[in-house]
Amino acid sequence: MNAYYLQILTVIGINIILAASLNLISGYTGQLSLGHATFMGIGAYSATLISIHLGLPFIISLIIGGVVAAIFGFIIGVPTLRLKGDYLAIATLGFGEIMKNINLNLKITGGPMGLRGIPQATNIYIVIAAVVLTIFAINRIINSRVGKSFIAIREDELAAEAMGINTTHYKILSFVIGAFFAGIAGGLYAFFFRYIHPSNFGFMKSIEILCMVVLGGMGNTYGAVLGAIIITVLPEFLRTVSPVISQYRMVFYGLLLVIMMIVRPQGILSQDFDFTLFNHGLLGYKKKKGGQIQ
Amino acid sequence: MSYSKKILVFFMIATMAVLTLAGCGGGGASNDDSQSASGDVIKIGTLGPLTGNVATYGISVKNGVEIAVDEFNADGGIDGKEIKLFSEDTRGDQTEAASTANKLIQQDNVLAIVGGVISSETMTAGPISNDAKVVMISPSSTATGVPEIGDYVFRNCLSDEVQAIQLAEYAANEMGIKKFAIIYHNNDYGLSLKDAFEEKAKELAEVTNVEAYNEGESDFRAQLTKIKNYEPDALYIAGYYTEAAKIAQQAREQGLDVQILGADGFYSPKLIELGGDAVENVIFTAGFFTDDPAENVQSFVSAYKDKFGSEPDMFAAQAYDAAKILLTAIKNSGGEGGEKLQSEMAKIKDFPGITGKTSFTSTGDALKDIIKLKVENGKFVKVK
Repeated sequence: MNAYYLQILTVIGINIILAASLNLISGYTGQLSLGHATFMGIGAYSATLISIHLGLPFIISLIIGGVVAAIFGFIIGVPTLRLKGDYLAIATLGFGEIMKNINLNLKITGGPMGLRGIPQATNIYIVIAAVVLTIFAINRIINSRVGKSFIAIREDELAAEAMGINTTHYKILSFVIGAFFAGIAGGLYAFFFRYIHPSNFGFMKSIEILCMVVLGGMGNTYGAVLGAIIITVLPEFLRTVSPVISQYRMVFYGLLLVIMMIVRPQGILSQDFDFTLFNHGLLGYKKKKGGQIQ
Repeated sequence: MSYSKKILVFFMIATMAVLTLAGCGGGGASNDDSQSASGDVIKIGTLGPLTGNVATYGISVKNGVEIAVDEFNADGGIDGKEIKLFSEDTRGDQTEAASTANKLIQQDNVLAIVGGVISSETMTAGPISNDAKVVMISPSSTATGVPEIGDYVFRNCLSDEVQAIQLAEYAANEMGIKKFAIIYHNNDYGLSLKDAFEEKAKELAEVTNVEAYNEGESDFRAQLTKIKNYEPDALYIAGYYTEAAKIAQQAREQGLDVQILGADGFYSPKLIELGGDAVENVIFTAGFFTDDPAENVQSFVSAYKDKFGSEPDMFAAQAYDAAKILLTAIKNSGGEGGEKLQSEMAKIKDFPGITGKTSFTSTGDALKDIIKLKVENGKFVKVK
């Protein structure tokens, strides 16, 4: 397979991790986050800096990047997730701007020059392994008691609280787990493209990830996977069709998104979609009939 | 099989079909390419933003390259082979820059690439091109570190350091300026200029203070008030014409009447349009001057106007020269790419282009003449 296809596959993999982890926060727990790319950025910068300055091996830097992103997720989650309502969306939006400006002005992050000369350590096998592990982990979480609590919070926060679920605790937990995987994706990104810049992890990237989740289907991990594949492949595919379409490909891309949303507003795979193939112990737990709160 | 499952299966099949088709298309094309590469065409690519908010630069670059390719083709191509141009859009996004570099190299089998346009594109596309041993020449990525990506990455533009240093020397030695203040755009371009200018100016004169502004700012009064307190003789603006025009106007409003200096980011008719009287006497460095009476400059300008109906800018001129340098090197290598083309590129010396004579340093950075332009009576004129 040539480098062009390998690159597209790698980007698909990174986007799957991002979409699946945002889906955990927004799709399953029902908390709208507009700063998922920020956590990706934190992971990318921390993994790179740790690897450059401490000389730690790639996989360890990657995991530390994820942990640092999770810590930031905790810091931003604790004050905002205590509140009910859409405060998280605003807080994550602001947090994204703060991180962007910090990265633009710190010496260690290279400021507006970005970080360059990162060794290329990410390869397709590592990405595939990371994707499988992420989906496996998220599936296990969703089908556990913790996951049921997430879904209960999404469905009705008051009712969940009445049932004895510590909603703040579970909202923060969901947010921290999501941030961790976003951080891992960021590390993979940095070590694949060998150059990172504060503008890579801005608001537009967050929206792109949200698009994947909404298009694929909120509250369905495989929906997020499908959304990530479509959003990554579509612009590249339109580029190769014909020169005329290539020129207007972003128009087609937007149009297709609009049409998809009109035809299927719940996303391609809706949240109660039963994916029997994967639920027979292949990648996740066997889902019991009626086990999910509708 | 339930209804929803049918839909899922449909989408899965559709996605697979799409991927397979894309694969076939690519495979088929590359087969054709390998035949034609040894046959009757020479393929070169461009990559840059053709859509999005920096599209204006990318379109200029693509147009400039087209003019150069047209000229070579009108002369019978290279050894009788026609030159074919593949232009890819990056939207100014560095991830897409990497995909387009891969696509041009793997799918279209180009011999060499003119691009990327903005520095962050070249930062991700450059290593890919370098690893594949495909020569890449950027006509406009001025940031520090671009030629250092590798042996196969060249650039044909004024480096930020060189133009800042030369202007600092000119201002201190020829204009007799003693006290400089600096205001810079907080991005890679502004920072590179500022660092080089500050260092040189400190050596030759005094730098009173350095202020910064961020992307999208339009009120610079706070920074200018601070600058005014130090009573400098000149203000170096390391940024682009939109902000420069506003800074010049606001400086005048505040009674900060100093010589304003700048770099190639100033060179646009918009500077005078937006700045009016306030930008009178502004001096800045540039690599190209549209009204240069030299014959090759005027023939490029008229060819560009005929084809695209607008005046070429610096990006177009540098891209035109970059493409001509590249095509000359391809001619010298006998239509071969890879190592042979790389060594031919490195051999280019005093290439007579419309942006001055160009040679390459050992890292592949351009060594070229820098011209200084001045605004006089609402027009750009060459200094000296």
